[in-house]
Amino acid sequence: MTAFRRLEKGGRIDRSKPVSFTYDGKPLSGFAGDTLASALLANGKTLTSRSFKYHRPRGIVSAGVEEPNGLFTIGRNEPNIPATTIDLTDGLVAHSQNAWPSPDFDVMAVNSLLSPLFQSGFYYKTFMGPFKKSWMFYEPFIRRAAGLGKGSYEKDSDRYDTAHEFCDVLVVGSGPAGLAAALTAGRSGARVVLVEQDAEFGGQLLSERTADFETWRKAQLAELSSLSNVKIRARTTAQGLYDDNFIVLLQRHEESDAAKGKPRQTLISLRAKSIIFATGALERPLVFSNNDRPGVMLASAVRTYLNRFAVAPLKRVCMVTNNDTAYLTAFDLAEAGIAVTMADHRKVIPSDLLSRAAMLGMAMFPGTGVADVEGAKQVSRVQLAGSHSASIECDVLAMSGGWSPAVHLTSHGGIKPAYDEKIAAFVPGGFAATHFGAGAVMGRFGTQAAIKDGNEMGAKAVADFGKTVKPVAPPEGKDRAYHILPVWLPAVAGKGKAFVDVQSDVTVKDIKSAHQEGYVSVEHLKRYTTLGMGTDQGKTSNINAIAIMAGLREVPIMQAGTTTFRPPYTGLAVGAIAGRTIGHHFRPYRLSPLHDANKASGATFIEAGLWMRAWYYAWAGNSPETAYIREMELVRKGVGLADVSTLGKIDVQGPDAAEFLNRVYVNGFAKLPVGKARYGVMLNDDGVVLDDGTTTRISDTQFYLTTTTAQAGEVMSWLEYLLQVHWTDLEVHVTSLTDEWAGMAVSGPKSREALQLAFPDADVSTENLPYMGCLEVHLDDVPIRLLRLSFSGELAYEVHCPADYAHALWEHFLKMAAPLGIKPYGLEALASLRIEKGHVAGLELDHRNTLDDLGLGKMAGKEKAYIGRELRMREALQAPERWSLVGIELMEADKKLRGGSILFSAGDEIKGHGRGYITSVTWSTELNKFIALGLYQGGLKHEGEDIICAFPLKNEQVKARIVSPHFIDREGARLNA
Amino acid sequence: MLDRRSALSLAKSYASPVLQIGEARGFSLLQAAGPAKAISPITGKLPAKVGTASQTDGRTLMRTGENQFWIIGPENDAIAKKLEGVAILTPLSHSRTRIFIEGAPARDVLSKGVPLDFHPTVFKPGMFAMTGIHHTPVLVHCTSQTRFEIYALRTFALSVHDWLTDAALEFVE
Amino acid sequence: MRIPCPHCGERDVSEFRYGGDATKQRPRHGEGDLKAWHDYYFLFDNPKGPHTEYWQHVLGCRHWFKLTRNTATNEIGEAS
Repeated sequence: MTAFRRLEKGGRIDRSKPVSFTYDGKPLSGFAGDTLASALLANGKTLTSRSFKYHRPRGIVSAGVEEPNGLFTIGRNEPNIPATTIDLTDGLVAHSQNAWPSPDFDVMAVNSLLSPLFQSGFYYKTFMGPFKKSWMFYEPFIRRAAGLGKGSYEKDSDRYDTAHEFCDVLVVGSGPAGLAAALTAGRSGARVVLVEQDAEFGGQLLSERTADFETWRKAQLAELSSLSNVKIRARTTAQGLYDDNFIVLLQRHEESDAAKGKPRQTLISLRAKSIIFATGALERPLVFSNNDRPGVMLASAVRTYLNRFAVAPLKRVCMVTNNDTAYLTAFDLAEAGIAVTMADHRKVIPSDLLSRAAMLGMAMFPGTGVADVEGAKQVSRVQLAGSHSASIECDVLAMSGGWSPAVHLTSHGGIKPAYDEKIAAFVPGGFAATHFGAGAVMGRFGTQAAIKDGNEMGAKAVADFGKTVKPVAPPEGKDRAYHILPVWLPAVAGKGKAFVDVQSDVTVKDIKSAHQEGYVSVEHLKRYTTLGMGTDQGKTSNINAIAIMAGLREVPIMQAGTTTFRPPYTGLAVGAIAGRTIGHHFRPYRLSPLHDANKASGATFIEAGLWMRAWYYAWAGNSPETAYIREMELVRKGVGLADVSTLGKIDVQGPDAAEFLNRVYVNGFAKLPVGKARYGVMLNDDGVVLDDGTTTRISDTQFYLTTTTAQAGEVMSWLEYLLQVHWTDLEVHVTSLTDEWAGMAVSGPKSREALQLAFPDADVSTENLPYMGCLEVHLDDVPIRLLRLSFSGELAYEVHCPADYAHALWEHFLKMAAPLGIKPYGLEALASLRIEKGHVAGLELDHRNTLDDLGLGKMAGKEKAYIGRELRMREALQAPERWSLVGIELMEADKKLRGGSILFSAGDEIKGHGRGYITSVTWSTELNKFIALGLYQGGLKHEGEDIICAFPLKNEQVKARIVSPHFIDREGARLNA
Repeated sequence: MLDRRSALSLAKSYASPVLQIGEARGFSLLQAAGPAKAISPITGKLPAKVGTASQTDGRTLMRTGENQFWIIGPENDAIAKKLEGVAILTPLSHSRTRIFIEGAPARDVLSKGVPLDFHPTVFKPGMFAMTGIHHTPVLVHCTSQTRFEIYALRTFALSVHDWLTDAALEFVE
Repeated sequence: MRIPCPHCGERDVSEFRYGGDATKQRPRHGEGDLKAWHDYYFLFDNPKGPHTEYWQHVLGCRHWFKLTRNTATNEIGEAS
């Protein structure tokens, strides 16, 4: 059964280029210039899908982005793509959706028979009860039955990309208004971008038969293409408008380009100085009984298929309209030899139309509308009623309910559209100073009007740049005035369902029921009935629904209001939004200057923030659980080498550098001698610990400040803020050196020997380089800083050098200190060694803890001012029962302590948030048991008490004891060795 | 002998008939903070506007702040000695990896990730911008209509290089 | 949103970090009691309309500056 055929001649298709594609596995063919929709119609595929809820047979309705029915899954598992927007390309694979096994024979069509059950609100009312989880139980079954296309779990094999663009004038839409606007603006020399969602430029002109129009279109395009300041982009949709004239464009590249490894789509972020909206208008359907049958189409779409794609209805077309524009379709059809019957809701029809209709032999029924449509899988007969009654046999029913300006993009900025009685449609409700509307989007229909508008707006858009313009000359011709008789409801109630939104299967009855239930605001109506919530976002249905609701409420349409138009204008693949920010490029990654050295040393890496850090090394084992223990033993007994380059490093210079640091740190830095390092803690203004680190005085006016890895950026920004905003009187300059300097820790009882082997000419004795001392040495003229610091609690040093030399220096150490058995140790061991020593780190410095919570209260200067001094004294921050730092020892052999465990006193009921939690945990090689740091209510007041560490995720509870957080070398004998 | 190693020693090379991407090694970078009138007698005339660079005595002088300059010279430039006491000096030669991108599509490739107007009449030779590529800070210096030098943080350099070569994949034959 | 950096000119908002209300007077260092610091740190107006804020050109020149922004429309005014 078929309703359409391909004409022998005519159209814009290229008959010299046949194109093969498959539809539900069957090979079909069309021509270059076809869309999937036109090719399917030409191949006699009138029934293309089943509806969302009732599984009713459906066919293609429109010829554009507004298509509600003809959705397909194409090739690469991309669902819900309107066939009207898919360029037909060789090898295209299209699948129908929501029909099993096929649209022709669909098992779920039984839903249609059960339809009284499927009214709006039915699901929720029925499946929400009788017990609480009913909806959750039923939902998967309901979703399977009622659905659109399916997503895929497979990786998208296509490339998507992003781009930034800038221009003076963006013109959206390339109909006569857009072409004129772009050219007028372009002739001024301004940077113009013209975007067109279609594969071809011209908009409505592409559906016209007048040779003058085509000549004009080509001439404008040729001139636009010749201007180097104008960019024209076909297949590019303006999807959203945001603050500051930021527009998101989606460009769909030609399939042949995508095959060459180029991106398939590019999401362009465009910033325009001004925008001309020439987005045109969308024809809307009429609402009547069974208006969803395959073959019921928009009148303008029938004309587009005829004139642009040379796809004509088989023999007979019935038409129904309430305005003049449908006659353009009727006359073109009649001239092509197709029998046309015209029902016009208007009793009085302009005489020129009547005489032309008579001349072409059309049957005319003024004051008449459609009562019902017959045909199980395709229109076969239309019942007309009103001033006349007739039963018309036909292949296609073409309808026109009038035109709705495509105001969507114009209102993304928050300006609601306004109702214009004269054209019975919404028009833009106003514009920002740099926005302009031209042509049909303003409700000014007609080619001449559009060109006049385009000229005017093109000139206005560039006026601010002081440019002179030359307007575009229109082709010969005169516009017809637009007359419409608003018709919202069926003129005669039929027996079948009268659909308002065919995609979401919402009928007139559903709107009435929403009204009865009190969902009268259009926003509620939308959510109650799902009207306009499909992939088409109600492009063809919204205004009919608003008007029907206004009628039920007996209020003017403007008062019923519109729903909010939100981006994107048409469906947007998630892949296009992600662009290349996927997989390896999901986020940037950061490599230590010692990365290659670590790799060569057998490191396994772990992500820590953006950093890739050496976790453990192959020499110590091949699992982190065991390797770090060997690495810890190495440091406790011999000497190990670790990469600490990720520490934040900041150059603090200037006459007031010491004063500056003295303010920022809680402890004093003013009197730190040159060549000495000091551990410092800084607070936020609110008295909570921000960060800690070691800072070395290089000279009277220069300090080398280090931060934790995690807070490096935050601290840098904070110091800049203080200096630039508040303490402008201090002469201090801060510069990040995190990337300039690499650092490695040399730790363990044999570290001094290792240092001596590496720097045979340096005096690294404890007299010359005591704990917290700093020594500048040179090796092959490379400046190297030796700092005697310890994170592990052992005798240890940090060796800092300019980053490019770090790899060589690492190799130098491993080679020179080889006789001592030096080996690298990784992040896991670093973190474990510091737990044994009781040093706090990122897990404890979590922006919630105070100095006192961390046992560092004594560091704060008594006399001097420092940031956070006042607010740290807040009563609640001084409360004795605050959770504060403790050590924890596991009391049960063969069990484990786990990070994040909730702490309870031995006598507590194990319930709720407990009295604290474990922040860091490790196996202690020294104590031969699991130990941890944690925060516990009242802290070390409870030293020696028994606690329970609960880990509900694994349903574990283990016995432990509160101890000092300093598990080893409390007196510092090793440190000072 | 301690030798210098590049952050891009493990980078995959990029080859295209229309576009080159690679590392431009062998430079020194000194940041000098202080008033222009104190610095210029030693360096030569400094650019007047933030975001512009000038060439003097084989060096590129960039104004990166009201009173802050980047002096980019040959690898073992001795200018730091002469500027001691004149300005606050911070050597940054190791902190940045210089990646060049050269060829007709260079502007388009940069536009894929940098929200700057790269139109040839807007971003001209001699100009530079401190901006971001893939969330990391970079300084992009336009050295000719079709060549740009990107100063990326050393620790992000491979990430930026990876990102650029991926962005430029479509120009590989 | 585009933000005019006083050094670098107009740039995309993605290059900046927000730094909070710039209308509050920070107590001088070492001065101000607990209440003064409390009011400075915790109490803010939440105006609808023009608001003066701190922003840092964090991916760019790292300059901190004051900017007037309309919190209702994101319209950007003076930067200094």
